[in-house]
Amino acid sequence: MTEYVSARPEPAPETAPASTPAESADLGAPLYVAWQVTNECNLACLHCIEESGPGKAFKDELDEEQVFGILGQFMDLEIPYLSFSGGEPMVHPLFFKMVEFVCSRGGQLKIETNGHFLTPENCARMKSLGVKAVQVSLDGATRSTFNRMRIRGEFNTATDGVRNLRTADVPIEINYSPTSFNVHEIGTAIDLAYELGAYSFYTGRTMYTGNAVKAWHKLELTDEQYAAFFATLHQKTEEYRGRMRVHFHEMGLLEELRYRLHHPAALLIVLPNGLVKLINALPFICGDLRRQSLTEIWANFQRAWQDPRVAQFIDDLSADPGKTSSLHQWVYV
Amino acid sequence: MQLSKYVKFREEKFGGVLFETRSEKVFTLNAVATAVVREIKPGNSESDIVAKLQACYEDRDGAIEREARAFIADLRNKGLVQD
Repeated sequence: MTEYVSARPEPAPETAPASTPAESADLGAPLYVAWQVTNECNLACLHCIEESGPGKAFKDELDEEQVFGILGQFMDLEIPYLSFSGGEPMVHPLFFKMVEFVCSRGGQLKIETNGHFLTPENCARMKSLGVKAVQVSLDGATRSTFNRMRIRGEFNTATDGVRNLRTADVPIEINYSPTSFNVHEIGTAIDLAYELGAYSFYTGRTMYTGNAVKAWHKLELTDEQYAAFFATLHQKTEEYRGRMRVHFHEMGLLEELRYRLHHPAALLIVLPNGLVKLINALPFICGDLRRQSLTEIWANFQRAWQDPRVAQFIDDLSADPGKTSSLHQWVYV
Repeated sequence: MQLSKYVKFREEKFGGVLFETRSEKVFTLNAVATAVVREIKPGNSESDIVAKLQACYEDRDGAIEREARAFIADLRNKGLVQD
């Protein structure tokens, strides 16, 4: 049994000695679909890579028939793992119906939310439907940093929501985006995640794209801040080993993209209008679920990674890291 | 024996994959391992699984039994199955 290339856009996998892991191209379908179900959000976070916010739903987001037609394809192809994100997925009018559809057909589903709709009733409902995990964004260990980052957000509401998940016995993950003004709290944020009952904590480098482009002067970390950040993460990884997993990507975006060029993850990113991206950190679109089957798109996904424009974009990033500001100017491959 | 709660299995042309969705780790399976997991899914015991494989494949030197038992032990060690 070989540990396989990760389904997620993560660094190189560990593999068993003297073995050759299969690649995503060997698979009949993706293993993981990350679906941004809407671009609408109740918050307008400084760093949001999707430029989500109030009134920011795409004009052409999928309708009910399209949503369930696509979900049906995912389940028929036995995609084992899905996530719903956004925007804020819980503001989607079909949210619970979509959750029920996936869970009732055996899919393992993660919800990625800002935590502002995690009432006791909603948490109990997610538990009863069989949601695998809920990932809540907590970009700060204090109200002042959290509320500065998450415009219109409220730290106490989010943390109360996490507590409601715990009461309902829904597995909890915490996500944290570092910035110049919250990075000093990373250690206490990890401690808080554990106190709140999380089993996993995710973080990495904050990307220069989406809303972050406009707010970069408030967000950008120095190399020294990142060095201290990763040192704390290594220390906390050991401190919480066996109790809570601390996941982080120390490698930069460029290194990851270069790796992915030769080892695409078994992951599709679905946008609210059904377009499918190669990977979140590139502007390339490899399919349209309104017009193509998932099987067609999966085949094109593998070809699209070989398109010379993809490699060229990644090469150009090394000369101009600011090119990530154009990720929303989609390029069809 | 059953797959653990957060483990999903899918058959592929080359065999199969097991996806542990809590750690988000994926494991590739060869043909024998895939046959084992196919028998774990309905809840068969280790001895039943080995017997079924021996009935399906020629196992004159016991290699399939050894491979199947070693694989099941590996699954247990990694927490991918529960008895």
